[in-house]
Amino acid sequence: MGIGRDSRHKHYKTGGRSKTSIKKRKYEMGRPATPCKLGAKRVRRVRCRGGNMKYRALRLDAGNYAWGSENVTKKVRILDVVYNATSNELVRTKTLLKNTVVQIDAHPFMQWYLKKYGVDVGKKKKGAQKDEKQEEEVKRSRHVIFKQKARAAKTKLDHGLEEQFQSGRLLACIASRPGQCGRADGYVLEGEELAFYKKKLEKKKKN
Amino acid sequence: MATETTVGIAQTEKAFLKQDGMFHLTKSKKMQAKKNRKGQIRYYKNIGLGFKTPAEAIEGIYIDKKCPFTGNVSIRGRVLKGLVVSNKMQKTIIMRRDYLHYIKKYKRYEKRHRNVPAHLSPCFTVKEGDIVTVGQCRPLSKTVRFNVIDVEPCSTQKPVNVKKQFRMF
Repeated sequence: MGIGRDSRHKHYKTGGRSKTSIKKRKYEMGRPATPCKLGAKRVRRVRCRGGNMKYRALRLDAGNYAWGSENVTKKVRILDVVYNATSNELVRTKTLLKNTVVQIDAHPFMQWYLKKYGVDVGKKKKGAQKDEKQEEEVKRSRHVIFKQKARAAKTKLDHGLEEQFQSGRLLACIASRPGQCGRADGYVLEGEELAFYKKKLEKKKKN
Repeated sequence: MATETTVGIAQTEKAFLKQDGMFHLTKSKKMQAKKNRKGQIRYYKNIGLGFKTPAEAIEGIYIDKKCPFTGNVSIRGRVLKGLVVSNKMQKTIIMRRDYLHYIKKYKRYEKRHRNVPAHLSPCFTVKEGDIVTVGQCRPLSKTVRFNVIDVEPCSTQKPVNVKKQFRMF
């Protein structure tokens, strides 16, 4: 093993060096870093200390994303890598890492929203007449319609999210560690966080 | 959506700073009831051992994952007291602990000291010469294993030469 995670090779706080007479040990081993990219799923299994498995994702294209305020999670495709606080290089190479901001497919969430609230989030308000026709086509019992209207009256969709639904892409943040668990799961950006990252993206665009 | 909840949190980093495990848009009534005086849902804990959580930790807007009150560290093991030597580092201080070492042959003591680096949460303001209580926590960095949990500001207004003092606690 070439890479070691020991602290024996480091200087002391005082600046002194230690003349170590110990060889590298297996429990200190490190493995070469292989960042996960955006692409057709490719995951390798790694046998680790204690017989435990790590799933090293090399390429991923989908993940389980949670819409926190609505308490829904859907498996969606990851469409694009958009921002990484660490480095722009990682964005250019479309690397999927924890806390990377990505664009995900909004359609599963739109379908869920339609079913729960009876409101088609993707449609723009100008097409109101067409909507009514389509609503009639979808058969819903009066009971369901009543429930949906009651729910819709209570909730209000965040303006930032509404815009994103209309484009069919949501901004999300990866919360899992693809190189460890083999998944790129995360959560949809909302509220303050969404505003923060949107600002960052706009700044980038200007530059 | 009105998000007064996290307004004011100093977003000084390239990534969005937030408390781990706190969902700021939660609708749960239980969490809504826990808002602090500024209307923020903020996680803080009682570190135990009789130490009081400072008001700044509860009301403040800083995000520090290594803060003993609002972050993900637990204080366990030793609790030490010392004098602050330097607070020039970001969020950490160097604390000096003086002690006497006994020489058996001469039946006398000699002065010795040790410098202890400790993590300083933004809820405390500390200057050189303050007396600080630190609690042991898990390794936070290469040399930091302690976390400041209480500060006694030094009363003198004159600049104190910390390195020339000898104070045992």
